Amino acid sequence: MHPDPELQFETPERVALSLPVAGLGARALAALLDLLVLFLAWMTAVLLYSLFGDLVGRWQALSGAGQVLAVVGVLASGWGWDVAWEVLWRGQTPGKRALGLRVVRADGAPVGPVESLVRNALRALELPLAYAPAVLMVALGPRRQRLGDLAAGTLVVQERRYDLSRYGPPAGAAARFAALRSRAPGLLGADEFERLTDFLRRRAELAPAPRARIAAALAAAFAARAGLPAPGAVGDQPGDAAGAAEAEPFLEALAYHASEGS
Amino acid sequence: MSAGGRTRNVAAFVRARREAWERLEALSGRVETGRLSLAEVEELDRLYRRTAGDLAHARAAFPGTDAEGYLAQVTARAYGALYRRRRRPLAEVARLFASDAPAAMVGNGWALALSAGLLLAGVAGGALAVALEPAAAGWLVPAAIRDALAARRLWTGDLLSAAPGLAGGAILRNNLAVAALCFALGLTGGLGTAALLLANGLLVGAVVVAAAQAGLGPDLLGFLSAHGPAELSALVLAGQGGLVLASGLVRPGEWPRGLALAVRGREGARLLAVAVPVLLLVALVESTVSPSAALATPAKAGLGLALAAALWGYLWRAGRTEAATATVAGATRGEG
Repeated sequence: MHPDPELQFETPERVALSLPVAGLGARALAALLDLLVLFLAWMTAVLLYSLFGDLVGRWQALSGAGQVLAVVGVLASGWGWDVAWEVLWRGQTPGKRALGLRVVRADGAPVGPVESLVRNALRALELPLAYAPAVLMVALGPRRQRLGDLAAGTLVVQERRYDLSRYGPPAGAAARFAALRSRAPGLLGADEFERLTDFLRRRAELAPAPRARIAAALAAAFAARAGLPAPGAVGDQPGDAAGAAEAEPFLEALAYHASEGS
Repeated sequence: MSAGGRTRNVAAFVRARREAWERLEALSGRVETGRLSLAEVEELDRLYRRTAGDLAHARAAFPGTDAEGYLAQVTARAYGALYRRRRRPLAEVARLFASDAPAAMVGNGWALALSAGLLLAGVAGGALAVALEPAAAGWLVPAAIRDALAARRLWTGDLLSAAPGLAGGAILRNNLAVAALCFALGLTGGLGTAALLLANGLLVGAVVVAAAQAGLGPDLLGFLSAHGPAELSALVLAGQGGLVLASGLVRPGEWPRGLALAVRGREGARLLAVAVPVLLLVALVESTVSPSAALATPAKAGLGLALAAALWGYLWRAGRTEAATATVAGATRGEG
């Protein structure tokens, strides 16, 4: 058994990099999730369609070629699902993204269309055996590669979400917002402090645009209350790119100093 | 903040450097989704080098911490963003069909000859077997088709007039499965691919001769001629792909077997990538044109041969051009 295999590769600057390789559990779960998403997508499509029209009637009214194309669409969605996602989403399908998995080449680069086609075409060998070879190879193999991964030269790596806030706010932020050291204590009510730390803890899960918007709004409001200029404002409007980049360090420093003082 | 950030305390180290890392992360993310300005690319490059240095420091000073894990992940992501040789995904798909796949076809002539040879040997074998010994049809031709032939009617008529669209779907699924399997069985060292090619050839040869013996030859020819050439071509391509994959296992040359397998596997898959859209087209023709009574056999045969000729012509022309370009480029490099 190989407890913790890692993908190791070297950059041209001779920096050795290593990424943890994903295990059987995460990969199986990701595959199930993809199956579920695909199934729900088709169920929704059929349901919506049957709400608005007579599905069977439409089907019978289609010409032979139309029916072929419809069947092709259904089949292609199953066959091409993983390939299309992996190619367009840099090695991730919805299931893999949910579990933080990514398909990469042995040199750490994201998969291309041909690699993705290889690793998914070789399912033709595994499917009739109920994926038993894949399960065994991922569970026991030194780099946890399926047959398809071996033939394509790919691996599935596990990306982790690290929380650096356990080390305290960035030094730059603390220094830049030194004014907060004296003003932060007592500035926030208990519930405001909770909401602020909630945002800081969960921001990684937010999409970039709303994340920047919320950060800018919070920073502007708290800065005004502390009698400071809005972060990043040297004649800038709060909410523009520079303001947004400054807002989060400001909020981190605020939370840090506020908790120190209480 | 000491220069180079060679701090002993992991928390102080992270606090001092964190902003640069997060900026690097944000820039790497932007590369994946859009474009950067020149200044941003330079910033990305600078931050990447600094962060790689931080990673080396963290690995020595704070091994096993979250800080080290985070740095490894961020550096790897930035490395991918910075050294990305590949084009955007759709451009790469376009290139696959424009030059990579044809070059793989032309560059592996031995596999093409072997794949086509096996399929044709199967056809000839099946045809000869049934012609010399009609009883051989008993185990070469599926029972349903035998019964239909015994009743002096073409099974294709029933099958397709009932529900042409559904039959098209079934034909496609079956063909795609055979093509994918033909490629995948390259992992058996090519034996499985060869067996599948032979078996499919045997079936075709045996059925054609059995139908001819039943007096249904012209009817079957009419049915097969529109889609048959392109369908068999796609099968030959998938078989070629499987044999190219197998060559990585069987004859890795001076490379480690795993690496040879990955390189040859990717090359073989380019051929499968051509076979798939061809099979989509074949399913369409097979379920609409082939069973049509309105078209005469010569017209169907003309269409069928034109489709196959177009496929091979495109692969040959594009592949030759690619090979010539590669040779010229190689020669130029050799001189320089």
